[in-house]
Amino acid sequence: MTATRLDAGAKAPDAEAGHRVVLTGLGVVSSIGLGADRFLEGLRAGRSGARPISVFDTEGFAHAQGCEVTEFEPERWIERLEPARLGRAAQFSAAAARMALADAGLDLDVLRDRRGMISIGTTDGESYDLDQLVEREVADGAGAFDGEAARRVPAARLSVVIAQELGLPDVEAVTVPTACAAGNYAIGYGFDAVRSGEAEFAFCGGADAMCRKTFTGFYRLGTIAPERCQPFDVDRKGILTGEGAGVLILERLESALERGATIYAEVLGYGLNCDAYHPVAPNQASVAECMRLAHENAGVKPEQVDLVSAHGTGTQANDVTETGAIREVFGETPPRTVSMKSMLGHSMGAASALGAIGCALALQNDFIPPTINHVTTDPECQVDCVPNEAVPAELRVVQNNGLAFGGNNAVVLLGRYDAAAEAAGAAPAWEA
Amino acid sequence: MPATTRDERLATIKEIVCDILEIEEDEVTETSLFKEDHDADSLRAIEILAALEKEFGVVIDQAELPRMTNLQGVYAVVSESAGW
Repeated sequence: MTATRLDAGAKAPDAEAGHRVVLTGLGVVSSIGLGADRFLEGLRAGRSGARPISVFDTEGFAHAQGCEVTEFEPERWIERLEPARLGRAAQFSAAAARMALADAGLDLDVLRDRRGMISIGTTDGESYDLDQLVEREVADGAGAFDGEAARRVPAARLSVVIAQELGLPDVEAVTVPTACAAGNYAIGYGFDAVRSGEAEFAFCGGADAMCRKTFTGFYRLGTIAPERCQPFDVDRKGILTGEGAGVLILERLESALERGATIYAEVLGYGLNCDAYHPVAPNQASVAECMRLAHENAGVKPEQVDLVSAHGTGTQANDVTETGAIREVFGETPPRTVSMKSMLGHSMGAASALGAIGCALALQNDFIPPTINHVTTDPECQVDCVPNEAVPAELRVVQNNGLAFGGNNAVVLLGRYDAAAEAAGAAPAWEA
Repeated sequence: MPATTRDERLATIKEIVCDILEIEEDEVTETSLFKEDHDADSLRAIEILAALEKEFGVVIDQAELPRMTNLQGVYAVVSESAGW
């Protein structure tokens, strides 16, 4: 299967290998910028999204920094739906889908006649609304519930609102609740649908809104950093919770070429597994296995990978385990391994979607986003994490890791796409 | 009614621990080990720590968790934080 795919090269898809799948639209709601352009600027500059949490009362916590999305005005992006009827995460999701659509230059009238897929990953769904409902219940009893807020809660709405907002009748809309790796799961699901021909396009990604429940849970586990997120640093103190959404449009290479679309990258494949080894502790062997599964699915050898966008949460457990797994797969000189969470905090279900978007932008713009807040690399996390400043780099294959509680792991591989070279008969740029 | 003597406080701690570990109070002694004897894991340990903080109005550093392996250890750690 892998060999067939490689042999298919730039030629028309054959039945077994399926369609080649490319990324042609990116939508970003993040703490370092709204829209792919601002996000790119932020990644290049190594901007930090950390600030004191404002969306819930933090009294009683010794520290409460987070990476909130600011200056988000849903009505700027959302056209058909009434923003007040959407939870914060659904607003992020619908807005990011609108941005991705505009970025891709796709015509909605054309999309409406085609079969599509919408898959959005999440950790918390609309837990921000749940926070408010519970607070209300505690103060005034269940009878005081805001009915509108209760209607916003079901997590399935994070994907359904995209179909509603864009008026897409012939789509499967799925919300994938595999927590902190969910964005990659959602991309994998969309990739399969487009590669197999089942769908002609896919809106994939993840969305989450900051909530008190998740902050408190991580705080209680002792994994919230007091000030800043320092992945791979010997003095790292944990995560900062974050929020946002990332939506990527996947389509067949042929349709992208036909309409002269900008192609950010090719989606080469993905891998996922679930070891259920421990509720919160990651398992190194299983993380390594997930990377190998992704490489196999993509037809990529470890030595072809130029950059790993790590899950890189900045906790003691994650960073040691993940870099251990990376060395297991890549050997003593692994590719440069960065953590965008140093800038974005942990945006939960949006995290690996934003990570994948960062990878696509890195491929297209020939740079590697930095791991900020870095002082001294932990000897137990022996990777070049591109400390503090972005570096120029011509990348061919980039790997995006997502690892979640319960051992839900998902890894996505993106490759450089060079339209001019392929038109002249060259092999795909990522294979070179 | 806050517990005031060592025995009373210990009884309260025991109740919290047994509730979280889902065991009967007669199964646990002052020296029986939460992990080895009562199937506790790291998440249960944090749950115990959180419940103690709430009950006694204290703050316990997570670095103290390794000392909190049985009722005696817990009592020692909580009493330091509470200044008993």
